[in-house]
Amino acid sequence: MTRSLDRGTLVGIALAALFLACSGWVHHAAGSKVRGVREEELLYYPSGVLVRRAALGYETAAADLAWLRSVQYYGEHRLTDQKFDRIDHVMRIVAELDPQFLEAYVFGGFVLAQEMRQPERGLELLELGLRANPTSWRLAFETGFLHYVCRHDDRSAGRYFTWASRMPDHADYTERFAAFANQKAGNTGMAILLWKHTLLTGNAYMQEVARKELRRLGAM
Amino acid sequence: MSQERDESRRRPSWMAGIKPRHALAEVDPLPLLKLDAVVKTYRDPMTLKPFTAVDGVSLTLERGEIFGLLGPNGAGKTSTIKMILGLTRPSRGTILIEGRDPWDPDARRKLGYLPENPCFYDHLSAVEYLDLVGSLFGIRAETRRARSQALLQRLGLGAHARKPLRKFSKGMTQRVGVAQALLNEPNFLVLDEPMSGLDPIGRSEVKQILREERERGTTILMSSHVLAETESLCDRVAILHGGRVLEVGSVKGLLSSGVVEWEIGLESLTPDRALALRAQGHRADSVGTRWVVRVGSESALQSVLGELVRAGIKIGSVEPRRESLEEHFVRALGARREGSL
Amino acid sequence: MTRTLAIAQNTLREVARERVVLVLALFGLMLLMGSQVLSPLALGEGRKVVIDFGLAGSSFLATILCVFLGSSLLHKELERRTVYAVLAKPIRREEFLLGKFLGLWVTAAMLLGGMAVILLAVVTVAYHDTPWQILGAVGLNLVELGIVTAVVVFFSSFTTPALTAFFAVAATVAGHFAEDLRYFASQGTPGIRAMVEAAYWMLPHLDLFNARGLVVHGASVGVERLLYAFSYGLLYVIGMLILAGTIFRRREFR
Repeated sequence: MTRSLDRGTLVGIALAALFLACSGWVHHAAGSKVRGVREEELLYYPSGVLVRRAALGYETAAADLAWLRSVQYYGEHRLTDQKFDRIDHVMRIVAELDPQFLEAYVFGGFVLAQEMRQPERGLELLELGLRANPTSWRLAFETGFLHYVCRHDDRSAGRYFTWASRMPDHADYTERFAAFANQKAGNTGMAILLWKHTLLTGNAYMQEVARKELRRLGAM
Repeated sequence: MSQERDESRRRPSWMAGIKPRHALAEVDPLPLLKLDAVVKTYRDPMTLKPFTAVDGVSLTLERGEIFGLLGPNGAGKTSTIKMILGLTRPSRGTILIEGRDPWDPDARRKLGYLPENPCFYDHLSAVEYLDLVGSLFGIRAETRRARSQALLQRLGLGAHARKPLRKFSKGMTQRVGVAQALLNEPNFLVLDEPMSGLDPIGRSEVKQILREERERGTTILMSSHVLAETESLCDRVAILHGGRVLEVGSVKGLLSSGVVEWEIGLESLTPDRALALRAQGHRADSVGTRWVVRVGSESALQSVLGELVRAGIKIGSVEPRRESLEEHFVRALGARREGSL
Repeated sequence: MTRTLAIAQNTLREVARERVVLVLALFGLMLLMGSQVLSPLALGEGRKVVIDFGLAGSSFLATILCVFLGSSLLHKELERRTVYAVLAKPIRREEFLLGKFLGLWVTAAMLLGGMAVILLAVVTVAYHDTPWQILGAVGLNLVELGIVTAVVVFFSSFTTPALTAFFAVAATVAGHFAEDLRYFASQGTPGIRAMVEAAYWMLPHLDLFNARGLVVHGASVGVERLLYAFSYGLLYVIGMLILAGTIFRRREFR
């Protein structure tokens, strides 16, 4: 009786080990394809790693909590001393928890650039967002906007607006902005390309503007 | 002669010198339950000292008998029952139920079990619990429903069928226990203290049910502290003590050797004669208008009878009073303790 | 299978009738309604907040149910000795354990599913668009719950409720850190590496099941990921339950 029980136990343990090993193999096979490369990027932001790990799978909900707190932080200081020294740090935590939380980069970037008169820091935050979301037309556009408005850097603005205009689902106005900025920066070739593209948008007003600019550039 | 020649032609030549058998010996049916030198040793979880709960128990239960497992607390009755049910494993020895290891679920297919102080899922009603039990036996839904209803009615629980078990009294829970033990129409019933918590009417009903089961051919193994009831129900008993079997046999057989005293019934007895008998160490009591004289041994009986006859006293009756199972049990344990068994 | 399902049905009845389940369901409802209240403070990200809190809350509550109710499920049977009457029937110990697992998992799944339906309804009514993609995240969460339940059943097959809850929580947390543990162990001695490697294969890797971040930003869970997650979950659960059954089979009921 004891001998047959031991055999049953050994078979059970062997079967269990087999299934667990197979599951491990599936996980390994799934890992590189499905989990993405976010983990490697996090190595560049050690301060955020711990926060992310502490979230235990609830990172996006934790990001929301952090976002709510940061909005409160902004609101309180807006009504009092107009100082937002920690906005960068707070928005970076939100971004660390949820790298696709675009609003954190945009809002943070603008507060830093416009209200704290620190456009370099604002642009740094937006660049961070672009590295995590390279196909986000919105982040590219907002970055270009800051370059245009705060640094008066038409060339950089043109570059980012062009980037935005090439991303999927971009807003129509990105092409217009790209064309204007490139034109102002003396990047005539790019401006012509963008205006010609605008002719195809189907927006009658935009098409009229595009024709006028192309005639001015001697391309029509 | 021609028949012999015919037979020899039918049989192979090498069998020519061997007388044919004209009847096959009957194959003995498998005993329902066989325990063979079963030992169960536990280890105390704190001290790790080994403790032998069952020490070399061998028993065989034949079909259709009611077998009592008796013994004081700690004798090994429940440990033995748990091994029979496959809840624990013997450390040594074998247990077979109709030739099968109790660990095999098929061995328990026709087994009904009533635990001591039963506890069932109290979030279920009686009907729901019997339905669960029936599913575990693989009984079809309509059959389980019909049997559950019939059993609950038979056990006086018809009106409480849909009440949650947590609202049942001890006696009602015990009856549910009997119902779930009988649901699969078992051929082997294992009952641990079946009368526990029941009032006299309940006990009488359960006894009746057990007798009916025996008539059906069901084998019943019951462990009980209520020896008077065991005596009236059981065909055979085993007395356990310290994990060992002290005695096993039929109730009649165990008690026949135990005549406690002889009772002489008399129409009348003079006070002087009564005093004289008491002075000799016997008991003489008046029972209404009659007298009963009790003597402790057969030799004393012969001597007292002779005396009474010589005195011209009319002897009404002479009856042996055998010891009850309880008295036998206590005597056997006492003898065991003194080491005379 | 009938016997297993009978035990599963009984377990479902037992767990679902626990007051704690009602409390958890009410709490979940409050969480959903509460997140609606917070959404105006979220500067236009209200929909994201409601979905995030809804998914996170339902997942967390269902996990709590699994761990804390599941850890005492077997122990209660032993304490009250209800298990004796059941195991004396023609049921294998493995069937009994599988029934317990199914009953507990289905109860947690019902809580999770119920909250997901309410979440869909709340977002549809408040934002006039139905985030169907959250069903992918909920599906992954269901498989994740199966893994957590299997881990709970495994520990409860041989230890006390308190230790079961502790080990189950520890295994789940460690599962999230599994990759980091392996990385740190690679810097250590061969002995440490071997031990951690063994633990790595045993721990549940739950990162595969977290698609909340994806769906909250409007993306759907890909079919490839669903297949990988389902396969991993199924194999892991079977492995754990076989191990639990092997241990439970040898258990003696004194």
